[in-house]
Amino acid sequence: MKKAIALILALVLVLSLGACAPKQQQDNPQQTGDQAKPVAVKIWHDGDENIMNTIAEQVNAKLADEKITVEFEKKTDMASQLRLYGNDPVNAPDMYFYAHDVLGSFVTMDLLAPLTDLVDASLWKDHLPMTVQAGQIGGTQYLLPVYFETLILLYNKNLWKGEIPGTTEELYAYMKENTDAAAGTYALVNQHTNAYNVSPFVNGFGGFIINADGKPGFNDPKTIAAAEYNRKFGALQADGDYNTVTTLFNEGKAAGIIGGPWLVSGIEAAGISYGVASLSDIKLPNGNGLAPFSGVQGVGVLKTALKDKKDAVAKVLTAMAAPEVGVALAKKSGCAPANNLSYNDAEVSANPIISAIQKTAATAQPMPNIPEMGSMWGPAEAMFTAINKNGVDPAKAGADAQAAAEQAIADMH
Amino acid sequence: MKKKKDFRSGCKLVVLNVFFTVLCLVVLVPILYALSVSFSGKGAALSGGLSLLPENPTLENYRTILFDKPFLLWLKNSALLSVGTIAVAMFCAIPAAYAASRWRFAGRTSMLRMLLVLNAFPQVLSLFALFRVLKMTGLLNAHAGLIMIYAGSMCVFAIWNLKGYFDTIPRSIEEAARMDGAGDLSLIARVVLPLARPAIIVTCVMVLITVWNEYLFATTFLLDKNAYSLAGGLYQLQSNDYSRNWSVFTAASMLSTLPILLVFFKVQKYMVSGLTAGGVKE
Amino acid sequence: MKQKMRIKPWLYSLPALILIAVVLVFPIGYTAYISFTNMNLYHWNDYHLIGFANYARALFKLDAGFLSALLTTIIWTVLNMAIQLTAGFFLALALNARGLRLKRIYKTALMIPWAVPAYLSILLWRVGMFNTEFGILNKLLVLLGFEKVDFLANNTIAFCSCMVLNLWMALPFMISTIDGALQSVDRNLYESATLDGAGFWSQIWRITVPAIKPIIAPAAVMTTFITFKQFDIIYLLTQQRGYMTGATLNTVITYAHQNAFASNNYGLSSAVSVLLFLLIIAFSMVTNRSLKEESA
Repeated sequence: MKKAIALILALVLVLSLGACAPKQQQDNPQQTGDQAKPVAVKIWHDGDENIMNTIAEQVNAKLADEKITVEFEKKTDMASQLRLYGNDPVNAPDMYFYAHDVLGSFVTMDLLAPLTDLVDASLWKDHLPMTVQAGQIGGTQYLLPVYFETLILLYNKNLWKGEIPGTTEELYAYMKENTDAAAGTYALVNQHTNAYNVSPFVNGFGGFIINADGKPGFNDPKTIAAAEYNRKFGALQADGDYNTVTTLFNEGKAAGIIGGPWLVSGIEAAGISYGVASLSDIKLPNGNGLAPFSGVQGVGVLKTALKDKKDAVAKVLTAMAAPEVGVALAKKSGCAPANNLSYNDAEVSANPIISAIQKTAATAQPMPNIPEMGSMWGPAEAMFTAINKNGVDPAKAGADAQAAAEQAIADMH
Repeated sequence: MKKKKDFRSGCKLVVLNVFFTVLCLVVLVPILYALSVSFSGKGAALSGGLSLLPENPTLENYRTILFDKPFLLWLKNSALLSVGTIAVAMFCAIPAAYAASRWRFAGRTSMLRMLLVLNAFPQVLSLFALFRVLKMTGLLNAHAGLIMIYAGSMCVFAIWNLKGYFDTIPRSIEEAARMDGAGDLSLIARVVLPLARPAIIVTCVMVLITVWNEYLFATTFLLDKNAYSLAGGLYQLQSNDYSRNWSVFTAASMLSTLPILLVFFKVQKYMVSGLTAGGVKE
Repeated sequence: MKQKMRIKPWLYSLPALILIAVVLVFPIGYTAYISFTNMNLYHWNDYHLIGFANYARALFKLDAGFLSALLTTIIWTVLNMAIQLTAGFFLALALNARGLRLKRIYKTALMIPWAVPAYLSILLWRVGMFNTEFGILNKLLVLLGFEKVDFLANNTIAFCSCMVLNLWMALPFMISTIDGALQSVDRNLYESATLDGAGFWSQIWRITVPAIKPIIAPAAVMTTFITFKQFDIIYLLTQQRGYMTGATLNTVITYAHQNAFASNNYGLSSAVSVLLFLLIIAFSMVTNRSLKEESA
């Protein structure tokens, strides 16, 4: 019997050992008004570390006197992580930095605080209206836009022959002429099965992934026509997954790539002399320019942060809205600032990438930010993969994707 | 006659040697590839030629992963998690396995069978529920929480494997000790465990491998970059964009394989008998 | 004394049972509870019980897609286990051939894949072997003058690719186990059989197989469950978001995962998980038959 007691005691010991284990992360409760205490504002992101470092440098410099620092933490699959941790007061971040398309689902889950609870709406009066609207759900501002991006065409100046064609048909002819898949050299690569990267075709044809009413558009004849048209390009664009196409371009095996400013730091590190073209300058057979999605990258505030860090977060928001942040991002990473005042900087307005993005923004369509959008990427990718890789009839693939998308939306409720 | 037989078995050996040499080479191709890339300079990283010899051998990738990334920290965390998990899992499994092996009691068979069924439920589907468990116990973002989960999921395997081995240890040995007045617990500690050493060691190695491999829970339940395990840290590092530092990644793969390999070499002699419940006949 | 014997075994099993209750039983129970609620994006914090409504919808998900996933799972498990056991057996047998001096070296080399963390193995294979541009297999094909092959593009070839990778990762364990089991077979049995004039194959059938069968049974059952549960290989190789390869291959696990988590409807996804668990119980009852012999 003694032994049994010893056994139970040992078990209790082990379990309590687990319960008492020190927390890895320390909370930083801030007493309002207590300026002496340093406050760290934690921001989750799933983007380019260089971009986040640039923002952090700017904001931390501005708030050094107030002893407020922002700390960016990279989270793979951040949207899922935030759904789990978003309302956990102990572990949730104070803010998050992400594209605007996941906004709807976060707001629906009641994770975010309206920005006007913390700062005055005049903070974004100088921001581009398109970016401001992308950060709204039902007229309420939840996301402070920092920069925006669209797909652009980046080309290797040493490999691309002549000018960038003005029409997709000429582009196709060029690709056909200059692609040798067996040798592994390509004219132009694109993630041709990824909905975001096929969007220039879909939107240009007048099709849609999902409309404002939450109705998917995969079986729309225009979407199907766009997917069908995209197929012949995809056939000349290698595997089309992100790492494959990026590597092909960075290693000089592909003369051009359809991508965004997020590729720039890698391209520069690879020492490639590159040029930039706006996709809206390339016309589809119907006369429309290619019309990619635009993504607005910005910060949102978690409700859980209001309790202890409201003032600090408000100051971070104010610092992040300043035009200098946009200028620094533009210079270091070629991001197009959301704040219009940033463009007063001569170097920013002269930046070829930024002007290409700005030009594209005229025809670009902001990604939908309704909660249903999150469930659309899967069916969309399945549709383009089926068409491009398995030769499935576009109409059938469209119908399948439509059914899957409608099912996914029905499943949400 | 004897000569002919010698000749035949000689032939057989030659064939076998050729076969195994080729097989080993084929099996090792992915690893040789990774080794080669890990020693390559930046340029040849992904698209380099077919040659398995690096073009411009360099240690740069190893330097990068060791000193520019928190690799050593992750290594330490993995080691910590492994040791913790092994301790908890074995502490729980050994008495249970002993009980299941030595005593026939009501519910024994159904318990053993129930454990197997529970073990079959894919944990990837329990992710959300496990999140709740950790949240309730306050073990989110703590190594202790992960240790609990890992130990719990390996416990079933440990019980089954150990029970199988205990079954083969003759009771007569225990009886002798019992005569000397040893209780059950000291019997386990002094007689059974030393005899079951191969099984214990191999079970520990299996637990170690599981912990070393696991990335999903490690990246979901730990939030601090510096708290990640190796698999979790590397998953986080490369899950979206490995194109930029594929060669660094391969270097990391090789480095994180090395500790397990060393453990293998160390315990190889036990592998033979420890894995196969009852493999050793006295 | 009798009373004591009734309690003591459970006392000894208590630590393990508590741990298992927390880590394995509770999540299943909690999942069952959530499956009766309307927890989803719209009712994240204010969910409530809604009865069997989710099950009515989850049963609806057991459609053609699920059935084909079930079929794939069965083929996957059976084929993998058959190959693992046969290949493992003959390789182990060959390793134990008398006079094979380099046995230790071969064995060590064959064990190496086992030491590579699974996630790293999968990525290494995906990029280093299967990739159309950078993969060694395709480089080899081009070198030999063939067309490039996309090893993950459609279900048949992706299934084979996944299986090759699974075998690469799992065979070392099987070879180890069987090799261990072979050591325990009494050599004298072979000698007397040889005297009786039994040939190689008949020795294998009549002595080796029966002798090692009970020894490797636990490992084989464990491996069967692991194979059945295999998620990472198929998921990471073919269907990661943004990296879909064109294969629409699903096992019941990936199917449940896909259907459950794409829509963030936790009530519904829990119902799917519970149904899957019931299925696993049924599956276990079948495999349990072989265990009954073992534990008897």
